[in-house]
Amino acid sequence: MKQKSNNIFRRDFLKGLGALPFLGYFALKFKDNLAAEAEIKHKDYLKMLGVGNLEAPRIKYVPSLNTATNRIRLGLIGHGWRGEQLLQNFGFIHGEQVKENTVKGKYNEWLQTFLDQDDLNVELAGICDTFSIHAQRGVEISMNDIRPGGDKGTSKPAKIFPTFREMVESKDIDAVIIATPDHWHAPMAIAAARAGKHVFLEKPMTHSIEEAIELRNTIKSTGVVFQLGHENRQQMSFRIARELIEKGVLGTVSMIQTFTNRNGEYGAWIRERKFDKQGNVSNINWKEFLGNTPWYEFDARRYFNWHRYSEYGTGFIGNDFSHQYDCINQVLRVGIPEKVVAMGGQYYYKNVGDMPDVMNVIFHYPKKGYTVTYDGTLKNGIYRENYIMGSDAAMFLDLGIKIFKDDYSDRYRDVKINSADPLYVYTGGTEVDATTTATAQAYIKGGYGATFIDGRVMDASFLHVKEWIDAIRNQAKTSCDIDEGFDEAVTFNLANLAYTNNKQVIWDSETEKATLV
Amino acid sequence: MKKDTAPLYYSNWQLFSLTFIRVLIGWHFLYEGLVKLFTPGWSANSYLLGSVGPFAPVFRSLANHPGLLKIVDILNIWGLIVIGISLFTGLLSRPLKLCGIALLLLYYLAYPPFASLGINVPVEGNYWIVNKNLIEMAALFVLYMFPSSHITGIDRIFSKQIDN
Repeated sequence: MKQKSNNIFRRDFLKGLGALPFLGYFALKFKDNLAAEAEIKHKDYLKMLGVGNLEAPRIKYVPSLNTATNRIRLGLIGHGWRGEQLLQNFGFIHGEQVKENTVKGKYNEWLQTFLDQDDLNVELAGICDTFSIHAQRGVEISMNDIRPGGDKGTSKPAKIFPTFREMVESKDIDAVIIATPDHWHAPMAIAAARAGKHVFLEKPMTHSIEEAIELRNTIKSTGVVFQLGHENRQQMSFRIARELIEKGVLGTVSMIQTFTNRNGEYGAWIRERKFDKQGNVSNINWKEFLGNTPWYEFDARRYFNWHRYSEYGTGFIGNDFSHQYDCINQVLRVGIPEKVVAMGGQYYYKNVGDMPDVMNVIFHYPKKGYTVTYDGTLKNGIYRENYIMGSDAAMFLDLGIKIFKDDYSDRYRDVKINSADPLYVYTGGTEVDATTTATAQAYIKGGYGATFIDGRVMDASFLHVKEWIDAIRNQAKTSCDIDEGFDEAVTFNLANLAYTNNKQVIWDSETEKATLV
Repeated sequence: MKKDTAPLYYSNWQLFSLTFIRVLIGWHFLYEGLVKLFTPGWSANSYLLGSVGPFAPVFRSLANHPGLLKIVDILNIWGLIVIGISLFTGLLSRPLKLCGIALLLLYYLAYPPFASLGINVPVEGNYWIVNKNLIEMAALFVLYMFPSSHITGIDRIFSKQIDN
């Protein structure tokens, strides 16, 4: 019996050895296969692009210097929705927001993040707005101590200035933030600079080319620190894109395409905001709003939807293309085009203002060998990134980056990758090293928001205002200074000229004159 | 109640087929685990973030929590390796088959094969309810019910039935 059992044991044991060759083969060969697998799955994308390590992602966040003393006294001109957003970036919010974001005596995550923001040591010393309710709200904001580096009850209420003229002449103001309708941008910024006040100016920079020239000359002659409000200057994606393109990953760039896709009244700048219904002839300084523009009787719709009226606004080309242009300009330094043609029309939102809602613009850069195009519609909201088309690859660029190989490329001839799969991916708002495996569909976000710098996610708008404050304190340069702003303002105003006159516009960079032909 | 005791006697071909599929699934698990282990910086992050279906919020929340993500990565890599070795060699393979089924269930739930969940999920075939994860789970369940490791694996050393 025992003999029989042993035989069964031996026989079964031999059966068990059947798996051994598999195991042996696996053990001997798996490492070789792993290496091959790793090579395929975890390609060194930067090596594949033919570039070394990138410098842009290594930029360090530098906390504000010299903030202990030297408090900067800010005056805000234009406390509408954008002005209030900017105040938040500078570290000021309304007490209402504190209440809304406090649950059972505890700050929620949003409020805590805001409070953890660096204290820029600035004071909201003055407010100026043609709508008295907006001005009063600015004063309330100045008195709320719950803010980064809050003064614990020592905040002084901001002074209301009846017009910007009194504010820029005031000895109690060091620097101004301008967030008014576009037609007031240049006159206010020029007056402020002449009075020695530093200027943070919302985009679009000016309402006309002539204003852009005068503003540039004034800023340069007065030497005040100027920052244009294109917060995407702080976005990591554009810094990486600039470095990659400078290193030649796209080859020869022949075309750059930019887009606006919006759908609906809000996107078309027909909006009703919190206090609009309370606006009337008694609490709005209508004459001051109109300035040098043609006279109209008081019209609340015109006042609150000024974007849509060409007397005050710059259309969607000034409001949205200017962002795309600045992104492209910081990456490729395209500068001002030599010729511009534009076509479009106001087809859909006809009841408010004269803003076109479909527009195509071609910007010619013959010396640089490329064309920049802009396709804008306010009747389709399907998002498109900016496309930069090179002879070796195409870059899809916004807050993220995707690069696709051109099958005809010499540079990437030996790179075995399907042209439908990206050569390189950077997903906005994340660490660059975390995204080099371009295996999954990456989502590229558009818009304005967080960026990733020095190992952490930060608000790009905060970084942008901080850069201005730091530059004032330390005599440094801003990233969207008057020269960058000049390129932006002339370029989009050329497009508006071409559209309005239905003619080609030629820009003479020597005489700085635009000619309709 | 009947106990799921292993049938003691298989024909040679039955035993071969059960062992063969056990080794194949073991190979698959082990290699998946080792690839992840040896890929520098590997993380389930993008897999979890891209999750679809009713359980997607749970998987995404794992990815959004760095501490949890680290644990998920370690459990995933070493889970695959340990289960793979177990099936391959027939060591403790009965309990680890259940672990394998559980792991596959998580993969299944992260990307359940239903047409209504969109076309953005990269897959190499066409699946409806049944996909390869589900089939591998079913195969492991069959192996759980019809074990072979007590005969053709290291488990035979611990098997009382053979000793008897």
